[in-house]
Amino acid sequence: MKFLNKIIFFYYREYKLNISGIQDILTNIIFFFISIFIFIFSIGPDKETISQIGVGIVWALLLLSSTLSLRKFYQDDFENGNLLIIHLNGFSFGFIAILKTFSHFLFVQVPFLLSLPIACILLNIANDKLLYLFASFGIGSLTLSCLGSISSSMNLMNQRNFLLGSVIVMIFSVPIIIFSVGIINMEENFNSLINILFGILLIVFAINPWASGLCLKLSLENN
Amino acid sequence: MLIVKDLSVERLNKKIFENISLSLTPGNITILKGKNGAGKTTLLKAILNIIEPSFGSIYWKGKLLKKNLYDFYNNVTYIPDTTSSLKKLTIKDNVNIWKRFFISNINNAQIEKALKTLKLDNYLNKKVGTLSFGETKKLEFLRLIIENKNVWILDEPLSNLDEDSIELVKQTFEDHCAKEGSIIFSSHQNPGIYVTEEMQL
Repeated sequence: MKFLNKIIFFYYREYKLNISGIQDILTNIIFFFISIFIFIFSIGPDKETISQIGVGIVWALLLLSSTLSLRKFYQDDFENGNLLIIHLNGFSFGFIAILKTFSHFLFVQVPFLLSLPIACILLNIANDKLLYLFASFGIGSLTLSCLGSISSSMNLMNQRNFLLGSVIVMIFSVPIIIFSVGIINMEENFNSLINILFGILLIVFAINPWASGLCLKLSLENN
Repeated sequence: MLIVKDLSVERLNKKIFENISLSLTPGNITILKGKNGAGKTTLLKAILNIIEPSFGSIYWKGKLLKKNLYDFYNNVTYIPDTTSSLKKLTIKDNVNIWKRFFISNINNAQIEKALKTLKLDNYLNKKVGTLSFGETKKLEFLRLIIENKNVWILDEPLSNLDEDSIELVKQTFEDHCAKEGSIIFSSHQNPGIYVTEEMQL
């Protein structure tokens, strides 16, 4: 019960931090929508073309927008010593990685999820595809958060090159984008593709606490 | 209680320190003194099991620390040399988070008393980022009181504190030791704090 309370109040802490830095979340969303407008203006007024490539645009922009927030994933808690203090409060480094991943999903990815219907209207994506987009993004974004956790924890050991982490996320997110866009364009294969996406999520979710936890421990050791 | 035996730490084939032994029993205060880069923070991190020693062992309540780690963590509060309070939030928010996250048994009246003693009671709704470095350092001491644990491990707790604040620290240390608590802290010099063991690194 005591441990459960600690988890609840860890999220209370994350909530307070994210609310106080809500401008960061809003900046991400604004970046996402401005990029959509830029795509629309650069493609031209042809509704059919926009509709055809709309899902691909949404996914590419979601990926780019979520990588913007990766720098903050562990950096602040690492620099002010809170990572160590949280660890001393009974959380293993692997468990901290899991908690932080869900926190990133809740406070960074969910706002994108909620703004998807507006993006669909702007890009002329059919209403019946919205459900598929929600399903694919729900699974895909949690996978991206896991990848983000791994790359951000690796970045703590390599403070000079932040872009390296983003590159790693982008390379590993290629299969997620392929299957996520596939779900929407090949509706008859929905179950098989969603199972593949879910499989990728489970693999990355299993690797995340080990890889991130080890990177967090090493970065604190070498700090 | 806590025993460090012949501890040596090497990093990148360079010896940071070697054969350090110390013991921390209830009511004791140990100071680690040394110049910059002497290995004070490294020793504190080795005690916290964050850095792997190249030689030697650490015991907690008679057992190897690694085998009794979470019991040790349940009894220890660590203050790093950085500011661990959350700068974007107010003092009040920080106190609320600490109280809940560390499942503190300290009541609100005790916290208010501590805030008054530390002269932070007028800044409750001020963001920590706007406080002076000395004030944020004093806020760290509030976390010690809120966590209410037996062993305090403090990295440079006296830096940037004025004379009045150092007097407060002295009083806080004495109160903690009177309650059978123990303290290990690092500092460049000792401005008159009573210590039971002094270790030069």
